[in-house]
Amino acid sequence: MKDLKDFKTRLKIAKSKLKENSTEKSGQNSAFMGSAFKLGTELVAAVVVGTIIGFILDTWFDTKPWLIIIFFFLGSAAGMLNVIRTAKRMQEEN
Amino acid sequence: MATNPMHQFNVYRIGPEIKLGGIDLSFTNASLFMVISVLAISIFLLLGTKEKKLVPGKLQLISEMFYNFVAEMISNTAGSKAKPYFPFIFSLFMFVLFCNMVGMLPYSFTVTSHIIVTLVLAIFIFIAVTIIGFMKHGFGYLKLFVPSGVPVLLLPLITVIEVISYLSRPVSLSVRLFANMMAGHTMLKVFGGFVISLGLLGGWLPLGFSVALTGLEILVAFLQAYVFAILTCIYLNDALNLHH
Repeated sequence: MKDLKDFKTRLKIAKSKLKENSTEKSGQNSAFMGSAFKLGTELVAAVVVGTIIGFILDTWFDTKPWLIIIFFFLGSAAGMLNVIRTAKRMQEEN
Repeated sequence: MATNPMHQFNVYRIGPEIKLGGIDLSFTNASLFMVISVLAISIFLLLGTKEKKLVPGKLQLISEMFYNFVAEMISNTAGSKAKPYFPFIFSLFMFVLFCNMVGMLPYSFTVTSHIIVTLVLAIFIFIAVTIIGFMKHGFGYLKLFVPSGVPVLLLPLITVIEVISYLSRPVSLSVRLFANMMAGHTMLKVFGGFVISLGLLGGWLPLGFSVALTGLEILVAFLQAYVFAILTCIYLNDALNLHH
């Protein structure tokens, strides 16, 4: 059993070392890049989806170009909502 | 041809042409690399869990780390109710991770750099999560689109916005993975082309960039697999624990 105890303390030391290393600057920078990209796609995706819905509805109801304009703005609003939610989630994580 | 940075994304047929009711079902290089990824995952996990030692060997340690990583991710983001979905999220994470990592090998093909692959994965997740939500809450799941504490006058507008936001999930999920992988691999190829065209005199700088970018790409490959899996967990959480 002594072996196991020894192993546990060694594991603890190794783990604490690992934690120190993980907060290095280069790793953090790329993580920030990742979250920035995440927010960007979140915004763009909603705008694209909104515009596509507007386009489809327009061709259905023959109301070109009104619905595509309305849904573009609704999509932008949804994109901002997405961004705010994602940002909130990121803050909770930190 | 070889210097064209987009040439690496070409999909071509391997073996005979298979047509089924007007749909081309031929085996392509994309299918081949998906099979390679799945085989690599299976072999890696089977070897890793073959000997169950108290003090694990290298392979066992890595496979246990993956298990713990995904299990912790699920319990942190979606809670204990999401435990039954562990096999699905684990397979999803491993598949995306191995497809990304296999794509980092020279002369290989990156499956996840094609939007059709990531979009199908994302749409599958989207439909599955929606079905789970309706199964758990019935029509109460539609409350997701009607946030509480909104004036009645604004309610139709907010509902439409919420629906668009919900529908944009598979798009943002798939575009993020696809764009990251494609942009990275194109950039690597462009810098590789610079090394050739600048020759022995000026080629050292782009070569250095290529080395740095390869490191970054491996990080991105892991990070994007993680993001893909964690967003699936978050969507699952919305479907399982309805709160607004």
